[in-house]
Amino acid sequence: MSNEERKFLEVRELKKSFGSGDTRQEVLKGLDFTVAKGEFCVLLGPSGSGKSTLLNILGGIDSADSGEIFINGDKLAEMSEKNLTGYRRKHLGYVFQMYNLIPNLNVKENIETGAYLSDKPLDIDELLKILGLYEHRHKLPNQLSGGQQQRVSIGRAIVKNPDILLCDEPTGALDYKTSKEILQLIEEVNKKYGNTIIMVTHNEAIKQMADHVIKLRDGKIRHDIINKEKLTAAEIEW
Amino acid sequence: MENNKIAFGKRPKNPLHRRVWKDMLRDWKRYLMICIMLVVTIGFVSGMYVANNSMLNTLDINVDAMKREDGHFLLSKKADEAALKAICSGELADVPTVYRERAYKEAADEVEKAVNDALEEKVEEQVKEAIKTQVTAAVDEQINSAKAMGAAVSDAELESMISSAYDTAIAENYDKAYREALKSAKSSEDYSKALADAIDEAKKEINKEIDDKYDELADRYGLNDKFDAVPVTVYELFYKDTNEALPSDSNYSGTIRVYGQRSDIDLYDILKGRAPQNENEILIDRMHADNANIKVGDTISVGNKDFQVVGLAAFVDYSALYESNTDTMFDALTFDIGMTTDEGFEQIRANTNANYAFTYDHKPADEYEEKTLSENFLKALITQTAVSDTEDLEIKDYVPSYANQALTFANDDIGKDKVMGEILLYILTAVLAFIFAVTISTTLEQESSVIGTLRASGYTRGELLRYYMSAPLLIVIIASVIGNALGYTVFKKIVADMYYSSYSLPGFETLWTPEAFIRTTLVPIVLMLIINLIVITKTLKLSPLRFLKHDLKQKKRKKAIRLPKWKFFQRFRIRVFMQNIPNYLMLFVGITFVMLLITMAVGMPETLSYYQDSMGDMAFAEDQIILSSTEDDDGNTITTNTDGAERFSIASLQRKSDAYNEEVAIYGIIENSRYVKLNSCDDNSVYISRAFSEKYNVNIGDTITLSEKYEHKDYKWKVYDIYDYSAGVAVFMNNEQFNRIFEKDTDDFSGYISDNKITDISKEYIAKEITSQDMMKVADQLDHSMGSYMTYFQYVCFIVAAIILYLLTKIIIEKNERSISMTKILGYENGEIASIYLVPTAVVVFFSEFLALYIGYKLMAFFWKLIMMKMSGWFAFILPASGFVKEFLLVFAAYLLITVIDFIRIRKIPKVLALKNME
Repeated sequence: MSNEERKFLEVRELKKSFGSGDTRQEVLKGLDFTVAKGEFCVLLGPSGSGKSTLLNILGGIDSADSGEIFINGDKLAEMSEKNLTGYRRKHLGYVFQMYNLIPNLNVKENIETGAYLSDKPLDIDELLKILGLYEHRHKLPNQLSGGQQQRVSIGRAIVKNPDILLCDEPTGALDYKTSKEILQLIEEVNKKYGNTIIMVTHNEAIKQMADHVIKLRDGKIRHDIINKEKLTAAEIEW
Repeated sequence: MENNKIAFGKRPKNPLHRRVWKDMLRDWKRYLMICIMLVVTIGFVSGMYVANNSMLNTLDINVDAMKREDGHFLLSKKADEAALKAICSGELADVPTVYRERAYKEAADEVEKAVNDALEEKVEEQVKEAIKTQVTAAVDEQINSAKAMGAAVSDAELESMISSAYDTAIAENYDKAYREALKSAKSSEDYSKALADAIDEAKKEINKEIDDKYDELADRYGLNDKFDAVPVTVYELFYKDTNEALPSDSNYSGTIRVYGQRSDIDLYDILKGRAPQNENEILIDRMHADNANIKVGDTISVGNKDFQVVGLAAFVDYSALYESNTDTMFDALTFDIGMTTDEGFEQIRANTNANYAFTYDHKPADEYEEKTLSENFLKALITQTAVSDTEDLEIKDYVPSYANQALTFANDDIGKDKVMGEILLYILTAVLAFIFAVTISTTLEQESSVIGTLRASGYTRGELLRYYMSAPLLIVIIASVIGNALGYTVFKKIVADMYYSSYSLPGFETLWTPEAFIRTTLVPIVLMLIINLIVITKTLKLSPLRFLKHDLKQKKRKKAIRLPKWKFFQRFRIRVFMQNIPNYLMLFVGITFVMLLITMAVGMPETLSYYQDSMGDMAFAEDQIILSSTEDDDGNTITTNTDGAERFSIASLQRKSDAYNEEVAIYGIIENSRYVKLNSCDDNSVYISRAFSEKYNVNIGDTITLSEKYEHKDYKWKVYDIYDYSAGVAVFMNNEQFNRIFEKDTDDFSGYISDNKITDISKEYIAKEITSQDMMKVADQLDHSMGSYMTYFQYVCFIVAAIILYLLTKIIIEKNERSISMTKILGYENGEIASIYLVPTAVVVFFSEFLALYIGYKLMAFFWKLIMMKMSGWFAFILPASGFVKEFLLVFAAYLLITVIDFIRIRKIPKVLALKNME
């Protein structure tokens, strides 16, 4: 992998704080790291370590106080509100711990809300099959289990074939078995479509299936490891 | 997942578009309610526009098609051919010249007679003197001869001789001598000169008098201003006013104005039946027939004669049945218009009014020109009548069509209704748009995380804005389409029927009215768009992250407000209240809107019934008779033996303003009157009626200016006091003061007032009789035109109140669904939960109602005044305590009904809701 390829996503001296005066709290205290294209990167850390804030800044829905972010050479901070929306629309997919599905749209339609954003979306039927939701495609979200709903939300994020898929604790609300299934799905997606995946989690076990693990604590990077011997999602246990 | 080949699909259509319909279906009750309210309002207003426009267009077309007059004048008697011809010329008559010639002619004869009388007397004296001298001389000679012959003649004998000789001489010679002497005197130069001098002197006096008078007249009527002749065509349109009686209803008593056959002017549209063909048939006004329940084929008594009604029609010159142009309100209940054949007309025994209609030979281009024409024609009419050879020809009335309420009132009213309906539509649309906006902002809160996710995924604000705007806009568009369709069909008929029940209107053809479409479609859409745009844009401006975090409050409350140590439930309710303040504000606005409508629906009939009940008491006397002349044919002053009858004077002046020229009655009252009790005041001070004071906000000490209607003459008076009389805009003063001010003889008067009916004055001398019954006509007619609709309107208001309360309380409950569900899980019972979530709303409704009552009343009183300022007369808007109670109860009843629904709603909220994953 060339140096340039490694720098598909580059973060320099990123700082972020909340509040002001006495209540001011520094959440990110100067982060530097790069993520390669197609890499499955896991942001690991305990609650309050700043990982979700970092993810939101990378996703262009929150802003940093200082520092720079480059994605494929484009500087994120210099983008206007409109360009940021465009950036998210073209390049990003989001998966949250809560599925945030539209309750009165069925499975297929919920995925179409993602597909609509892309000029060249994935084939929805094929995607539904990959997601294991093809036979449920006409169901409404409240007829699905949590795992199925999360699959829909992954489908909605992935269908526009984004360069980067941002996942914020995607298995946080799921049981072990379902969590594993979701992780397998993300793994498959990563393999098949080659998207760069940045996943926030506090589940240490997940780092084993990642290409790249960044550990945060107190707003600082404690470890930035490239995992040479990664396991498959099926192999990890916790 | 071995196959790494990626399959791409097509970009789907925006799934949010499909969701719009799903949203509407999911929440169909709310959308249906709003849609129904919009459909009904839009439909009604559209119907109003279509009916109005079509009706006004028909009325407009009928001006030509029905040969409508440009005005009419009433003369004291039939004018002769020459006078009519002169009037038709529209030229100013040379009044001074004609008057001078007449005066000269009269004067010349008189002067000559006077001079001749004097001359004759003188000649007679001279001739007699001469004869006496001659006779005396002859007798003296005879006596002297006799004395010479010795005869003795006593003085007595002498006297007797002279006398006898003188008598003989006069008898034999006087006539001849007198004639000769007179002849010679008349042919003398002295005589001619004396006569000429006398005539000159007389002419001088005449000229001075006529010039003075004419100058005054010219000044008054602007006769010396620039004048262009106004040639007109004049048509005889004589009528007789007499009693109308219905054999079928002995209690009914009305007045009918009957015309002979109309063929050249002021035609009619027969709506039922046919025109009269013989002297026993009559065609009457359709509106009045409806009110008095007269059908084609019925027989009615017109004065002394029975007629069979063969047709019902709308007369082009009586779209509103005004008996007199100065009446406050038309009267389709007891006043009728009829037309019979000329033979039938002849047979009615009643005074014939020499009414003439006219049309301008050159039609005016606009209303300004029409006004100038009308003013100029009036000058021609005044001067031509003045110089007419017909003795005592006077103008009794002159009404150009633009000032004729019978012609213009319906048009104006129809126009005004349109504005009222339109305002109502806009207010209601605004209220509904706000309800939508509040609903949507609740939805935005509920869907906060979805919106956050969509925004994070790259949906633009515009896309979401368009999506959230779609439902309200779709509803307005659907409502507009259905409303307009109903407007052209159902509502058009309803509105037209409303007008047909007030006015005598011809049949009309429906006209495509683009204005209706624009006003009832574009304006509500724009209103809905703007209001929702503001609310939604404000929320959507927030960052996706704030949506994801459910942090949508624009202003962050730093700390929770501390509450006193009240009971837990009390505090809980206060929290609920504080959390929903914006919704409660909306609820208040909604209640105020409904209250305004209800104030109209309750207040109007209350006001009318108040006036109906008290108008009789308001009149200062039961009977008022205005005489056409205060002297009878023999020149004796007309008197009455009616107990308590008093003389009074009345005149009419105008209070001029840009908005409306109000006719003000000026009463001259005798000293120590038992009916109107005035204290004496100086000539510059007067009493004004309470109605005058209230309508124009005039108080004691203020100065009022009133003007003569047809003259440029103003009167300025100081208000001495306000006389408690609410039945009309009037000024009161002492009769002597009245006569001084209006330059009348000191003992002049106009008629009699009495609490007992005056029956001993012959009808031919009565110009107008006003009974307290007549004064109730206004209230009766208004009640008939609007009263019945107001009852329906009260029901409509109740429904509107219920719907608005339903929509707004629904929002409050929806917003709290999760908490309600949670309290259920905690073990609270439905009753307790209802008391927490419904009591704050009940309290808000309760207090909002009080405030809204006050605001609604004030607003309505304001609108009422606006309406009244454009009408003659005055009714203050009256809402008795019972009216307020009724309004309060109506809204509260609507609220109670909705509370039941809300309670059911609360009961239906499932416990699992709180446990469901919202995020």
